[in-house]
Amino acid sequence: METTFKVYRFDPENGSKPDFATYQVDLPDSATVMDGLRQIRDEQDPSLAFRASCERGSCGDCALRINKKGRLGCSLKIAKTVKNGVVTVEPIRNIPVLKDLVYDLEGFLWKKIKSVQPWITPREPEPEGEYVVAEEQLAEVRKAMSCVMCGLCDEGCAVIKIDKDFVGPAALTKAYRAVFDPRDGQHDERLTLVSEPGGVWDCTHCFEANGHCPLGLEPTDRLFEVRDEAIRQGIRSGTRNPKVQRHYDSFLNSVKRSGWLDEGRLAIESEGLTNVAGLAKLLPTVIRAIPKGKAPLPYFHHKRPGAEAIRRIIDKAQRSEV
Amino acid sequence: MKYAFYPGCVSRGACPELYPASVKVAETLGIEIEEVTDVGCTGAGVLSRDLSDPINARTLAKVEAMGLSSLMTICSTCQGVFTQANHRFKNEPEYRQKINDEYLAEEGLEYKGTVEVKHLLWVLMEDYGVENLKPYIKRKLTGLKVAPFYGCYIRRPTSIIAPKGLSGRKTYLEDLLDVLGAESVDSSGKSKCCGFPILTVNEENSMRMVSDHTGDAKTKGADCMVTPCPLCHLNLDANQPTAEKRAGTQIGMPIIHLPQLLGLAFGFDEKEMELQRHIVSTEAVSRQLEVSIRS
Repeated sequence: METTFKVYRFDPENGSKPDFATYQVDLPDSATVMDGLRQIRDEQDPSLAFRASCERGSCGDCALRINKKGRLGCSLKIAKTVKNGVVTVEPIRNIPVLKDLVYDLEGFLWKKIKSVQPWITPREPEPEGEYVVAEEQLAEVRKAMSCVMCGLCDEGCAVIKIDKDFVGPAALTKAYRAVFDPRDGQHDERLTLVSEPGGVWDCTHCFEANGHCPLGLEPTDRLFEVRDEAIRQGIRSGTRNPKVQRHYDSFLNSVKRSGWLDEGRLAIESEGLTNVAGLAKLLPTVIRAIPKGKAPLPYFHHKRPGAEAIRRIIDKAQRSEV
Repeated sequence: MKYAFYPGCVSRGACPELYPASVKVAETLGIEIEEVTDVGCTGAGVLSRDLSDPINARTLAKVEAMGLSSLMTICSTCQGVFTQANHRFKNEPEYRQKINDEYLAEEGLEYKGTVEVKHLLWVLMEDYGVENLKPYIKRKLTGLKVAPFYGCYIRRPTSIIAPKGLSGRKTYLEDLLDVLGAESVDSSGKSKCCGFPILTVNEENSMRMVSDHTGDAKTKGADCMVTPCPLCHLNLDANQPTAEKRAGTQIGMPIIHLPQLLGLAFGFDEKEMELQRHIVSTEAVSRQLEVSIRS
């Protein structure tokens, strides 16, 4: 199959601006995008730089943006992605490029993964032999253990796009794996760590990450598990992130009291009743909303029919969390 | 077909214009709805699922007790939370049974897993039929350039929200705009997060999302944006002045609720659709509609 490859080229050493170079490749229908890049490098331009290692989707080294989608080059057949005879290959987004298709993962991924301390700290003295865990105890975390740290979920993350400091779904998937490992002794400390600013509560839970993971590990679902576990443990905020707890508690208390959300109360209590600067910040929005009838009066929130039944459900669910 | 109607918290709170607009649209089209009143907030993805799943199972059990099998929402977030919870209830019978036994039995309720939850947008496109809308269009929205803005939870997770066979859900807004005579403007934020879920925790990021999305729609030439989600509406409309200030730019992008846009096409005027309640002026929309009528 004859295909035109449009490949991102950039060499900081020659001072030229990034550009796309065009190559013609002829490969069988079974060929992958990585096969195409290798043919270009071996037969047409030995200066083309790209990463590749396992060639079977197990190492995450060849994460690239192929025809505008984050994919693993070794696992994607040309025939599956080619559009009008063209395959466009670029580095993933939001990342410093070192040369051509080689990028710097240090700040983008490794630093963030290290920040969640994704290693197990045993709760008891390590056994002399293997630390044997029953299969059913690890069944839930197996999915996250398959993560190859390709970074494609972070590449598609709507928050990282605008805030490079957000820890991101890849690191939070690693955090999930440690939080739910029965051998770990740092359970609550981990939940506090990921609840600091820039952590799990900064996620918009928009489910973009699920669509970007090439292995189907559903990082957003893993992240929800971490949040739910933090809530179960009463850890709804890091030591430097008190608004998270106030927001959650206010939301919960409002639904518990009247069955539905008291939006005005939520805004006030999330800022904090004694946080004068925070409350003052709300004023312009409230002043704009009042004449439009869009600022519901806080605390004078009528109870919905069924509020008592909902309160009973919440009470019971909270008791079973403990 | 009759639907149980779940208006959600925001359509009776900070977006009070949404509720009457939705009811007027349903009445115009002859869609029979009955509000399910004695039920709670979905949890909006904020409350832990340990708490929100039993509350939502109770709502769905109430719908069954009304003798109905469809629940209509008017909020992408309510829709998403219900769809995900309902997916668990339908696919994990033991989990559903546990919730029935532990939480619903004492009220004499049981959720059997028979309810389909559908946003008004899905009801129109899948049940009512887009062709059947045509006789009700009294005012073609010709010339009005509208940027669709879906809201995350009516798009993702794809495997549950728009699985095989229902992948058309990804373009329902564009398809509907086409029938109403409006021109779709493809803005980059169309299926992205509006930033509302992190408004409290990280206001800076939230406002950046608002200015990026509304700014891009403006750059692409949209007269307004339309959304099926009142939470997206709150952030994109009520917080747009704050986002403009942070970004140091003037945007002034009107944000229209989906039922309001339908209402305008069905011949209701701007006041009947309560556009005057919006924070960002909707005059640009009115002006364009005037032009459409004259031509």
